[in-house]
Amino acid sequence: MGKHMGSEKLGSFYTGKKARRRREWRGVRDTMYDYAQWLRIWGVLLRFAAKPNNVRAFFRYRWMLNYLVVPDFFDRHTEGMRGAQLRITHTALSIVVIDMCKSMTRMFKADPNIGNDEKLRKRMVLFDENMMSEIMNGFPNLIWVSVEVPAVYTCAMMVQDGVVHYTDAAQTYGVPSDVCPMPLAELGVALEDDYPRIGACAVHCNTTCDGSLMGNSIEGQYFGIPTYELAVPIRHTYESVQPYAVEEIKNCIAFIEKHTGETFDWNAFFKSMELFNAETQNMLDWFEISRTKYPQMIGTNLALYRYCVYQATGGRYEVFRKVEEKLNRYIRRGYEQKELVCREIRHRAITWGVQSAYYTAFTVWLQNCWGVAALVDMLSLCSTRMVDTHDKEQALKDLAYLYGKMIMRSRSNGGYEVGVEDLWRFCESFDVDVVIMYCHMGCKAMSGYHGLFEEEARKHGIHLIWVNHNLMKPEDGSRKDMRMEVNRYMRTVFREEPLDPSLEDFDDDRNW
Amino acid sequence: MRDLSQLYPFEKLLEEANNELVREGVAMGLHPIGSVCSLAPEPLLNLPGCFSVRLRAPRTGSIEIGTYYMSSLLCECCRAILERAVEGGYQFLDGIIAPDACAQMNRCVENIEHLNCIENSFVSYFDAPMKSDDTALRHYVRQTQEHVLKPLHEKLGVDISDESIRTAVAQHNQICHLLQELSAYRKEDNPRITGYEFAVLCTATYCCPKALLIDRLAAVAEELKTREPDQKPAFRVKVVVAGSEIDDPGLIQLMEETGIRVVADRFCFGFFPEREPIALHDEEDALTQVCRHYLNIGKCPRYMNAEKVAERQEYVRGLVQEYHADGVIYQQMKFCDYWGYERAYASKNMREKYGVPTLSIDRPYVTGSSGQLRTRFQAFVESLEIKKLR
Repeated sequence: MGKHMGSEKLGSFYTGKKARRRREWRGVRDTMYDYAQWLRIWGVLLRFAAKPNNVRAFFRYRWMLNYLVVPDFFDRHTEGMRGAQLRITHTALSIVVIDMCKSMTRMFKADPNIGNDEKLRKRMVLFDENMMSEIMNGFPNLIWVSVEVPAVYTCAMMVQDGVVHYTDAAQTYGVPSDVCPMPLAELGVALEDDYPRIGACAVHCNTTCDGSLMGNSIEGQYFGIPTYELAVPIRHTYESVQPYAVEEIKNCIAFIEKHTGETFDWNAFFKSMELFNAETQNMLDWFEISRTKYPQMIGTNLALYRYCVYQATGGRYEVFRKVEEKLNRYIRRGYEQKELVCREIRHRAITWGVQSAYYTAFTVWLQNCWGVAALVDMLSLCSTRMVDTHDKEQALKDLAYLYGKMIMRSRSNGGYEVGVEDLWRFCESFDVDVVIMYCHMGCKAMSGYHGLFEEEARKHGIHLIWVNHNLMKPEDGSRKDMRMEVNRYMRTVFREEPLDPSLEDFDDDRNW
Repeated sequence: MRDLSQLYPFEKLLEEANNELVREGVAMGLHPIGSVCSLAPEPLLNLPGCFSVRLRAPRTGSIEIGTYYMSSLLCECCRAILERAVEGGYQFLDGIIAPDACAQMNRCVENIEHLNCIENSFVSYFDAPMKSDDTALRHYVRQTQEHVLKPLHEKLGVDISDESIRTAVAQHNQICHLLQELSAYRKEDNPRITGYEFAVLCTATYCCPKALLIDRLAAVAEELKTREPDQKPAFRVKVVVAGSEIDDPGLIQLMEETGIRVVADRFCFGFFPEREPIALHDEEDALTQVCRHYLNIGKCPRYMNAEKVAERQEYVRGLVQEYHADGVIYQQMKFCDYWGYERAYASKNMREKYGVPTLSIDRPYVTGSSGQLRTRFQAFVESLEIKKLR
């Protein structure tokens, strides 16, 4: 036990039950910081739970119970961390939690089952999960809301089997089990009548995959409010699709205007996009640091934070500017003081494919156990093009381009060039020797490149480590199974010993 | 019922992708173009100078190479087509036109392209619309101009003029009218054509040069005019089959062996809705009219607008009524995301909303004489008969 990284046997904390044996000792300063942040998260949750609407939501919606373990989520994602890394993680993830709490509080206030605030409900526009919210930047008087995010996506991150009940419900309905569990679970929530029925209107989108599109079609019937189906081109890299993409965005704006009585406010839009551009610029700066020997903003921190700002908040909230300033300070400090993200960085990696929602802390394990630093992930590598904040026509073009490159679809749609070829470009640019290739069983779009990935990796001299999982169904490939695949590769191909042998084999099947 | 004398040659045409008529077409100097989806408007691939061959992998055995490249989690049809391509089964093609419609088929074509399975050919992808409104139509026209007509002209010298498109549509309509004539017999109380026979004839129209098929189909139509069905019907129930693509009439045969008579087919390679003639007028360019036709008739679950979602179920229900069917079989190729959801949703609505008895199954690409499927079909026949008795 000590203040240095790797001084604790992290695997020994796992008991085979939900809770761990004890908290990690990180030296006085870091332990105090970590504990204070842990209490702060409890404070956020208690303030959330102090509102009567939110308490009622715990009794109305089964999925709400998953949020009782948010503090454990933080413990998982800060495992083994010290110094700047610890602070980056707490800063990046706590703002996501705070934002979620605010969003859910509004949701339950408007929910006819709970707060039943009709006025508020009529100001809300329902968006699909996995769909960017930036169109709403031009409607400052309206509220963007995605009920699927709290009900499904983040639930699976909190508790590994948090949405299994809903995937079962959709399968009972008749949907086969081989489709992606995310739209499957989303449909399951609708079938179980477990969504707050809110919103003046809805926008559905062909976001990530064929399954997602189909799930939305059926869910659309459930909500029973006017719905616009935003068709974003699949071949989003083609110049020939851009006019259509722009027309669709214009049609969508007109639809929202019609059903809410609001008018698109260009000034508000430009102002928000300025912040969005600043966030993009920050990310590019973080990438620059990740290309050095001392990467800082990597792995799950980058991934989860980026999903939040790129997709959900999209430049609408000034608080993120402050958060990014703080993050930049920590990142710069970590870099200048040559702090490593783990005891030793043996391999520089990119994670490609879809990461498992039930094991978002997998990259933390990778660095603690084997010294593999997952510098960047496929889902974060979306558009870095700045959106014009002066010219309306150009801004619409940029926005349409951005929607083509929503998280996940920017790689799963668009063809070989963005799904496979770009990977090798990123490998070179980040100087990586390992690609952790997530094989998400339900993701047909990426699985279709399996053999081409293998062959191209050999040509490029990159180690490809396949890690199987099923996104939100841990019973199809447990956390332990995922680790096993890396362990096997490390031992047989690299012939390496783990940095922390206690992490090589432990039982967390029953953990949250 | 006396055998159809023309059936055997048609069955032979389905035994391989590079069949007798395809070879004849190539010998005539026509360019064979591979197609993988109904969203690529067929007449545009059948302009004078070229003809379309909808890719199939008949007599598929092992699909291990396809599985290596695409994993065991993808649609077997896509894997089988890739396997066939790797084996060299599509070497005769001069190009493939692939709409980016279903991710799995798209990956299949991308693998074919990047593994260089077909020498001296080109692959062109286009973005197919997912809705059926005016915006989508403009997009469809732009995409087909850019990624269908342009490569055909630039790479193969095909005439892509308005007149050329009208010629192709006229030929397409000839095939549609002939099949319509045959399909009408399926409405009879005791149809003089079996579902299997019709499936063989209809499937062939997707895989051969149309010009070389017209006379043969006309001969079948002539023969059917005087064909007498058996006095005692050789079936117990009539059904409509809907769902993902069936490129092997053997599956229809398997159904019919259990006492089913397939009277209408709403799936890729089937009659509905793709064999509906295209009506052209002179007030608008032919390309726009063709694209509009395909948007209007499209019943693929890929169309995401709410009107289309409702429309495609109404359509199947309409077929049940028009063809006096006792029920519907919704079938889906395993691992197909689109039909996985659509099958669940539509079969539930068929039963609960429309009161139409429905069998909902998923199946492998190669069904052969699957005992499991046979049992499902038999049970369905019995359940329909019990309903009739009640």
